[in-house]
Amino acid sequence: MAGYPLGVIVLVVLFLLIYFGLAQRVLDRLYLSDRAALALLAAIIVGSFINIPLSRGRIVSSINVGGGLIPLGLAVYVLYRCGTRKEIGRTLLAAAVTAGVIFALNSWLMRGREPWDFAMNVLDPLYYYPLVAGVTAYLVGRSRRAAFVAAILGVLLLDLIDYLMLAASGIRGTVAVGGAGILDVSLLSGIVAVLLAEFIGEGRERLQGGPEVEGRPRSLLEGLRLKTAKKVLPEEKRSDRDE
Amino acid sequence: MNKRAAVLVSLSLLLAAILASTLTYRARITGWNPLPAFSLGGLDPKEHTVGTYTTLVDEEGRVLDKMARPVYKDDEFIAADNYRYRVTEIRGDLAICTRIGREDVVLEGPSFSEAPDMATPAQAGGAKNLVAIYHTHTDESYIPTDGTESIPGQGGILKVGQVFAGKLRSLGVNVYHDVSAHEPHDNNSYKRSRRTAAQLLQKGPAALFDIHRDGVPDSDFYRQVVAGESFSKIRLVVGRENQNMNANLDFAKKIKAAADAKHPGLIRGIFIGAGSYNQDLSPRALLLEIGTHTNSREEAQRGAGLLAEVIPTVLGISPPAGPAAAGTVGDWKGVAFVVLAFILGGLAFLVLSSGGWDKALARLRQYTSVEWMNLLGQGRARPRGSGGRPDGNTRKVLDKSIVPAEKLPSNDERKDWQKD
Repeated sequence: MAGYPLGVIVLVVLFLLIYFGLAQRVLDRLYLSDRAALALLAAIIVGSFINIPLSRGRIVSSINVGGGLIPLGLAVYVLYRCGTRKEIGRTLLAAAVTAGVIFALNSWLMRGREPWDFAMNVLDPLYYYPLVAGVTAYLVGRSRRAAFVAAILGVLLLDLIDYLMLAASGIRGTVAVGGAGILDVSLLSGIVAVLLAEFIGEGRERLQGGPEVEGRPRSLLEGLRLKTAKKVLPEEKRSDRDE
Repeated sequence: MNKRAAVLVSLSLLLAAILASTLTYRARITGWNPLPAFSLGGLDPKEHTVGTYTTLVDEEGRVLDKMARPVYKDDEFIAADNYRYRVTEIRGDLAICTRIGREDVVLEGPSFSEAPDMATPAQAGGAKNLVAIYHTHTDESYIPTDGTESIPGQGGILKVGQVFAGKLRSLGVNVYHDVSAHEPHDNNSYKRSRRTAAQLLQKGPAALFDIHRDGVPDSDFYRQVVAGESFSKIRLVVGRENQNMNANLDFAKKIKAAADAKHPGLIRGIFIGAGSYNQDLSPRALLLEIGTHTNSREEAQRGAGLLAEVIPTVLGISPPAGPAAAGTVGDWKGVAFVVLAFILGGLAFLVLSSGGWDKALARLRQYTSVEWMNLLGQGRARPRGSGGRPDGNTRKVLDKSIVPAEKLPSNDERKDWQKD
């Protein structure tokens, strides 16, 4: 960074600090403690500098540790910790739908077009990924964790589609899974999708005057600070925090 | 079971809606032929929108600029004569622009707080004397030379990049020219090239260029002839949908100023358009459009060479002791933007999630007291020097077994941050 004007350094550092801060807050919500989230964030940052080559030649493919492997591992871990089979099914469905919608939007509709060439151009394509993932996951899974997994797996699925398309078309190409490390679209999507699910969820709860409790399983209710929930559950079973 | 059915039905409805809208849209823009898109054969990335373009005119109908992209309201551009325009209305392929002022396009720039003596030694010494170049659309080609406007993975644009890189090297600049292919040419191209760009940035370049060409059919519009030799003009593109927009715009203006001084007519203008173009990754990243597909590649290569001549001066890299790359007002505008966005976004979320100003404030207090303590261990909570037991509130929080959970309203706030 030496040699850059002060303004540029402040701009970059500030942006990264805020981004890392948000990332840590998001990881915090994925069955991880504060410290584990911080450690994982550090691992992602360091891992951003490590690329594992997978293939050379016409299709150059590689996977980045910070932007590909760790987020993938985290998504699998979150899936593994999921409460029910239904939840896992929904989350995987959300991932597939996310990949499908983004592919339809960006490849099929936009093929041969500049990104700004879309009739409803409000956003750079960069921002479609997390928005689609966040909204899809929220509609399908109604949870932040589903949003995270759907975004990560959805965007990684796109890489797989890319690889298959390149393999079928015979042209030169690059599939660098998570190649931009912590700034890669996959991780960025995961983080923004969680925040989005949170915004939608919180906003909706606020509008309807509190979360729905009717007919919900106890394991979910115990996380809430509702008067009714407190009465229902025995004292010793209530955990103060859910990890 | 009923609920499950409802979920399934709504999901399939959603899918059907998405599919239907994509089909309709596709049919509208390309004529009815949606099916081939499902076969891999239909995914031939050669399809392009060259030929269709937008003409930017002022209120009197004079042509200001042309570009192979629909232009959007509120896009701005700085014309070759440094007048700045804003697009106020779109009528089909016409974009009506209003002049909003004249830009101060000078190389020195309004010197900001950092004095030259701060920036110069760093530039001369330890600064990375490195420029990184990549191509998001590796298929872009020049018809008169390459025979077609698109060669997936092997476009003529790569050779234009080579000339740009070669010229920079001959001027003593280290260059990293990445020729990774980002095929197919679609909206995901920028996702793919983002990885290339991020990898390049890890090498610490002073500037990052994404080299493209335009798709306007009129080759003369991009052609400049000096002393019997023609070269193609260059447009600098700044994406306005990211936090680095002001910094990158100032960078573009400096390049234009330097080029205007050395090679008048080389810069077609600066376009500030919707999009991000990976410029969120660096405050010294630009997209260059070198000529158009109907220019010969040689013209484009000559244009690229001329542009390369002024880059070392702008970056303060080169002899003869060019003015150092001083900071710009734009850098600080970017900083202000990031801070503002963070504060506004954070406040909005806080108020929304806690349900009112009072609760938001309480939670903020909670955050500063408990959250950081949790993260940094208990040291911060203890009075310095005493090393004694934490007192009052802190003990309550640390030693949860002492106080029943109901009597700790503050912990609910903590839990709020971590609930599912």
